[in-house]
Amino acid sequence: MSAQARFAAGDWYAVVGERVTVLLPASQRGRVAALWDLADAGADADAVLDALLAGGLSSLDHFALVAHDDGGTRLLVRGAPTATVSSAAGDDVVSAAPGTTWNEQVLTGVATVRVTLAGDGAVEHVLTPGLSRVSVVELGTPSAAGSAATIETAATEVPAPPAPPDRPGEPVLGVVPEPHPEPTPDPEPAPDPEPMTFGEPEDDPTPTGETPVVTGDWDNDGQTMAGAPHPDFDRPPVPGQEIAPDVVSQPVASLVFSTGEVISVDRTVLVGRAPEARRFASHDQPHVVTVPSPQQEISSTHLEIRPGAGADHGSAIATDLGSTNGTVLAQPGLDPEELTPGIAVSLIPGAVLDLGDGVTIQVTNA
Amino acid sequence: MKNVDLHHGSSSDVGLVRKVNEDSFLVAPPVFVVADGMGGHSGGDVASRIVVEEFQRLAEDYDPARGAEHVADAFARAQARIVDYGDAHRAMSPGWHAGTTAVVAVLVDDNGVTKWLLANVGDSRIYRIIEGRLEQISVDHSVVQELIDAGQITADQAAVHPERHVITRALGSPEGIEPDFFLLPLGSVERLLLCSDGVTGMIGDQEIEDILETVADPRDAADQLVRAAVAAGGRDNATAVVVDVVGLVKDASYDSQRQLESLESKLGGRQ
Repeated sequence: MSAQARFAAGDWYAVVGERVTVLLPASQRGRVAALWDLADAGADADAVLDALLAGGLSSLDHFALVAHDDGGTRLLVRGAPTATVSSAAGDDVVSAAPGTTWNEQVLTGVATVRVTLAGDGAVEHVLTPGLSRVSVVELGTPSAAGSAATIETAATEVPAPPAPPDRPGEPVLGVVPEPHPEPTPDPEPAPDPEPMTFGEPEDDPTPTGETPVVTGDWDNDGQTMAGAPHPDFDRPPVPGQEIAPDVVSQPVASLVFSTGEVISVDRTVLVGRAPEARRFASHDQPHVVTVPSPQQEISSTHLEIRPGAGADHGSAIATDLGSTNGTVLAQPGLDPEELTPGIAVSLIPGAVLDLGDGVTIQVTNA
Repeated sequence: MKNVDLHHGSSSDVGLVRKVNEDSFLVAPPVFVVADGMGGHSGGDVASRIVVEEFQRLAEDYDPARGAEHVADAFARAQARIVDYGDAHRAMSPGWHAGTTAVVAVLVDDNGVTKWLLANVGDSRIYRIIEGRLEQISVDHSVVQELIDAGQITADQAAVHPERHVITRALGSPEGIEPDFFLLPLGSVERLLLCSDGVTGMIGDQEIEDILETVADPRDAADQLVRAAVAAGGRDNATAVVVDVVGLVKDASYDSQRQLESLESKLGGRQ
């Protein structure tokens, strides 16, 4: 059935594999690359669904998934998409009722599945394995509605995959253009919350004074004595890592939380269910971000993100702080990996950190 | 900020060796301070009292939403006064100096959420009970702590190290002060202990944990900690402030507990 698929151009992503097609809104750009890797490798519906949901449902308001194999057609619809299923018995509309997780159907004897994402344009382009930007997708034999009559191969002005329809087994990701990059993150960034502040350094009325000569009189009565400070010891460095600057003048990245919060990485950011900030000076007070974790999957102080130093200068680096359930990092174009506790990893824009309990952090340019 | 129901107790003892108690403390919910003064000719007790006075001023006109700023200001004012006091005395007797440690615990409003803001300068300590276990929050500003951090000695060796009383940061230090701050969620602290090194230098963490775990009333717990330190030798002034977060109370304008707390704060804390 997949060999016969058509679409109308739009801004949704269609991730089309041999067995599974996933449709995602433009805001889900971060998930698309990882899904394509799977779909292209011939993964089945369960594996693709697993990856799709790895980032949590709370940040995934809308999607549609169509899996086709010998047994029949499996259809999942969440949020806005509606599917019209045509069979010998007639047409049937599948959509998710508001408030439900999704609507799942296993269909047999289906001739056509038409998924409407946005608008209701004519499906005049051939859909082939790869990535496309779509508004309507129709899978199966052309419907009697007549859209088949207008099928033509990819028109020049639309973002159609270039792979010829007769070679569906050899999709080439690299040549599929992404005509409408959408750098705007979704959900809409909330204004930065007002953090606790120690006031401006200029407010500090501390006089410096001259250095007195300290004599034996210094500690006649007690045992406690003042000695010379050893600033080198203040923050013992991690071997092999340069000490990061406390605060950098320009944020190196922005963190878009699935909770809607947006935080600039111009200093250390601590994320957790009930995060604790330890041993900071009044001038390098970290951002402390509390995220909900009803299932307690997220540790109290789970993850640290801070401006990098040395080779990582100018980028944000993330360190799992020995969390109980770990942190999964999906960098664009790479397989998701679990962070090793205590080991800092440099983040590139588009990276997504998954802390569990549906909480994800997308890394964007500052 | 929601009203937080705090129970607290405090105790201080000059010990068996020293003639003057240079420790000072403040119990003015939600502000708690222990300061361990040092310096000859009454310099130490004046220095620690200046810290308490400045935090008393903070407590009298305290805005939790600007708590961190208030704490930083109180530190700076105390530092300025102690340095001035030292300068005045040095004019008459060269080499004279006064300094003090400080540990501070205040409730702050961080973006609408009530948290503990803790701070330390020197080797007075802040501990908490979390999930039934004692945990040291503050990191001493001391030579032995630096040697431990550098991996040169163990904690056991530090307890008998000849330089174990030498601290590297103090209020009154001409180089200026650098308090370390800690921001903890309210719920992560079942019981808080602020104490001078006259307690921790005499009794071990296990004994501190046992007392904090078995003595329910914070007043009795503070008493027993100080008595245990004195009984173990009392080589230094010993002071302990114990704070329990009993629960969040509704914003009732007046109740007996708050009346009691207000009275205690005016009288300088329960003894």
